[in-house]
Order: sequence, then structure tokens, then C-alpha cells
Amino acid sequence: MALIETAGLTKRYPGVIALEDLTIAIEGGIVGLVGANGAGKSTLIKLLLGLVEPTHGTASVLGYDIIRERAELRRFVGYMPEHECLPPDVSATEFVTHMARLSGLPRSAARERTADVLRHVGLFEERYRPIGTYSTGMRQRAKLAQALVHDPQLLFLDEPTNGLDPEGREEMLDLIRRTGKEFGIAILMASHLLGEIERVCDSLVVLDAGRLVEAGPLHSFTSATGRLIVEFDGDRDAAAAALRARGLGVASDGSAAFLIEPADDLALDAIRDVAAELGLGLVRLEPARRQLEDLFRRSSEPSSEAVHV
Amino acid sequence: MSDRAASSIYDLGYARYTGARLGRQAILAELFRYSLRGIFGLGRGLGSKVAPMGLVVLAAVPAFAQLAIGALVPREVEVFRAEEYYGYIQVVIALFVAAAAPELYARDRRTGALALYLVRPLSREAYALTKLAALAAALLAATLGPQLVLFVGNALASNDTARYLSHEADTLPAVAASAVLIAVMSAALGAAIAVQSPRRAYTTVGIFAAFFLPWGVASAVVEAAGGGGAGYVLLGSPFHVIRGSTLWMFGAEPQPTSPLATADLYGGLYALAAVVFAAVGTYLVVRRYREVAV
Repeated sequence: MALIETAGLTKRYPGVIALEDLTIAIEGGIVGLVGANGAGKSTLIKLLLGLVEPTHGTASVLGYDIIRERAELRRFVGYMPEHECLPPDVSATEFVTHMARLSGLPRSAARERTADVLRHVGLFEERYRPIGTYSTGMRQRAKLAQALVHDPQLLFLDEPTNGLDPEGREEMLDLIRRTGKEFGIAILMASHLLGEIERVCDSLVVLDAGRLVEAGPLHSFTSATGRLIVEFDGDRDAAAAALRARGLGVASDGSAAFLIEPADDLALDAIRDVAAELGLGLVRLEPARRQLEDLFRRSSEPSSEAVHV
Repeated sequence: MSDRAASSIYDLGYARYTGARLGRQAILAELFRYSLRGIFGLGRGLGSKVAPMGLVVLAAVPAFAQLAIGALVPREVEVFRAEEYYGYIQVVIALFVAAAAPELYARDRRTGALALYLVRPLSREAYALTKLAALAAALLAATLGPQLVLFVGNALASNDTARYLSHEADTLPAVAASAVLIAVMSAALGAAIAVQSPRRAYTTVGIFAAFFLPWGVASAVVEAAGGGGAGYVLLGSPFHVIRGSTLWMFGAEPQPTSPLATADLYGGLYALAAVVFAAVGTYLVVRRYREVAV
């Protein structure tokens, strides 16, 4: 059974297509949901949680239909929204306990789990302070705590590092990785920061303007491309001409290096021979790998400012 | 918490939970309890307690005055009667609703916590209705509470307390029924306005207007017309409905010069109007929460 399955899932608002005909099957682990702002990440999460109704299409999460079995499903999912969601005038302990009981935990269990979860996220010392006195980093941790307190099987995290400084970001990512890897809680994490996704996630779903760009395990996004990157020290034009003469495809990669096709042993021999014949130094020689950023170069305008790396 | 020592603390934390998960009833009970506490500012700052608790005390002042008179004056004195009581405290009831209802609903939208509630195992409708039930229950403190104090006060003020109790015990159903009806109607009316906007300033004024404007207008219309068909406008005025339905339940007559006496409607109509107010208000609350965006 897939963790999340959607079929033709579509959400339109008047004049806007937030998500268009999405059909995916996501397995467990930590899944990154990537895309520029407005790509449909939050909409997808809200659809899966039943916070908004699909225009058409169906989906199931943990095997539960998101509409018909909504109440049952919600016992087993946690949600950390992108926006602020904590009342400032109560303590983390009081609020998280309340949230635990709203998920069906009995009173004593709710209290115990609240203490445990607040310790897990590193808020144990501050747990009786009003949330309004917390720093941004502490509030993000409290948001994570309320999403975890009822021990969900699946966590939805929407931009969990929003507003954090670099150190806070590291700690949050570490917490997410530990929560996913050590406790086996599946996580769907939306982010527009590729660096974060690369560090934490096992697989990726890439959205752009409400449409699926690509989905798959992380390594398939960074796999070898069947080309070599080679950089010579010396007469580049002569080297390119000599390589072409030996039947290889040669393209510039935009910097000092060439992309050579195909990436087989004959090509490696040819590169060695050309360097020797022309007396060139070989600065760099490696298989070219796909970069996550390539996804966005292809799917959106290069000027897309939302893709920070 | 950014030092390295903190990260070793994490390791003590998380464990899987295999214990009981309670059903819908327990979840709604928790929401009811938390909302009721919130209305009275319990678990929040002192400032959140002043208005609700002050108003409940204010609503009971006439009742306690009767209690004091009963204890101190040897003669039989009944200054405040049960069927007249809401006439004294209707402004307090309106103030309580105007203070509590907007905060009750707006709070979760303002803080963004509504999203966290709506991903828990409870429906949008259940969320909105449970909050409404909490508001009505809180209002009972301002309606039923003083009435019970008053009942005891009048019993003590009577020359023969035992005889008073046996004699007046048959008014207790009217006391309870009128308190519940007025609490539910006022809560539904206030909530229906409160859910329209997360901006408390607007909804508080809106609730005031809903109680006071029709009151003034209906009184003026009935006075000008001097009875006849114009009397039915009183059914659109919450304060007149409160008063009319209470008098009807106690089987009492309105004061001769009041608009209610001038309009001379059948008392049951006021009770019916109260039920309609409650039903329509509840419907509006539910309808709004079906579409509130999070």
C-alpha cells in the first residue's frame, strides 16, 4: 500500500489552478515536496488533510480515502502549517496537551506525551512559558511538537524551516531527519529550498505551477546523465575540434569545461589521447550528474527568484 | 536552547504511543471544556478574566441584594421577582455575549490555530457547534445562576420559608426553562454575528447593535402605533423576546405601560421567536464554518 495515492487530483480557485490533474503514488520515508512559491505544495497538503475540498479527483492517505474516511485518517496524521498557528497567551504545555486530547488521547497520556514530545523538540525547559515569549525557532519547535504529540504515522510539514536562522535551520532539519529515520514516522515535507530537501529526503515530488514535474527517489534526480565533464588547461578550441574528429559529441557547459557524449571507455581513451597529442593539462574529468536545480531550469524561467539554493 | 548540551536532551524524548485513543465524544468534551475555560479567561492572563467574571457578578447583584434583604429585613419583602429578573440584567447578558462570542470564535482564526483544530478528528460543524454549546453554558452562569440565588433569597425573605418553598417550587421549571432558552438564544445570536469576521472590533459592535437597535426601534414603533399589527415587530427584538418569553413561562403579565403590554401579543409567540432566533443563529454559524478558509 502506498503512503499517499492521488488520481487526477485537481483544485481550482476562481481564476487560478492551484493543482492540476495530479496522479502520484508516494511510498514511505521522508518525501520532499519541491516547487517555487505558488507551485501547489500547500494546496496539495491541505487537500490530503481534508482542509480544502478537491475540485475533482480522488486521493487516499495511509489507505484512507481523504473524503469518506477523513475522521479516521486524522487520528494518524500530524500537520505543521507554514503560517503561525499558536496562541501567544498560553504555555506550550497547556496548548500541546489540549491538542493531544483533541486527537483522542486520554488526559494522563496527553500530559505524559506532551512532556516527552516537548523534550524531543528541545523545549523542555521553556514548556511552562507563554508561547508569545518564544523566539521564532522555539515557536517552530512547538509547532512540530503539536504535530507529533499524538504519535502520527504520517507528518505533513509545510516549510518547517521558515523564518529560522542558519543554526535554527540545521537543528530543525536534524530534528526532522531523526523523527523520520529513528522513529519511522513517514514525512511529507514541503520546501522551496533544494538544499534542505537534498539533505533530509529520500524521495521527491516536484511541482511547478500546479502540475507534476517529476517524482521519484532522490538518487534518480542526481543520477549520471551519460555524459562526461572534462576541462583542459590550454587551447580549448583545438581540444574540442580533436574530440569531435574522433566522433564524440562536444558541448560547452557554460563555463571552461566541455560536456562529452557518450560517457564510455572509448571516450575516456580519446580524451587521454587528445590531451597527450596536444600537450594539454587535464584539469577535471568526471561523469556529469543531474542537479536538482536542472528541474527548475527546465520547468520554469531561469530568473525564477523563488528557487534559492 | 541552541547550545550543544541541548541536543543530548533530545535523546530522552520521543517514544511511540500504543495506548488508547478515545472517540468523538471525548474529543468534543475536551473542546467544550477548553472553550468554556477560555470564555472565563481561565489559564490566561488576568485581563481575560475581568470582563466575563465581572459581568457574571454584575448579573447576580440584584439577586444578592434580595438575598441580603431577606436576611436583614424581618418583614416580607420581594423587591426582585424571578419573571422580572431578565429585565434588570438584559444589558449585562448582551454585554457578556458581545465580549465572549467574538473572542471565542475569532481567537483560533487570528492565531491560525483553527488549522490545527480542523486536522483533528472533528468536523468543521462539530467544532462550531461545540463552541456554541460552550457559550450557551457560560451564559447559564449569568441567567440560571442569579435566578437560583434569587429563589433562595426570596425564600429567606418570606415569613414562612418552608411554605414559600413548597408554594414556589412549581416556578422552578419556568426558572430553568427560561434560563436555558435565553442562554441558547443569546449565544446563537451572538455567535452568528461573531463568526462573520475574525476582527473582534466589528463583531462586538455588531452584537451590540443586534440587541439594542431592534430594542429601540421596536419600542418606538409599538409606542407610536399604540398596538394592533405593529405589535409583531417586538418579535424581531431580542430583548423583547427575552422578556416576553420569560413572562409567558412564568404565567405573568407585563407591566401595564410597557411595549409588551401595548402590543398585547400571545406570550407563546415570544417563546417561538426565541426558538427561531436560536435555530437561525445556529444555522448561520454552521454554514459559515463549512466555508471558512484555513
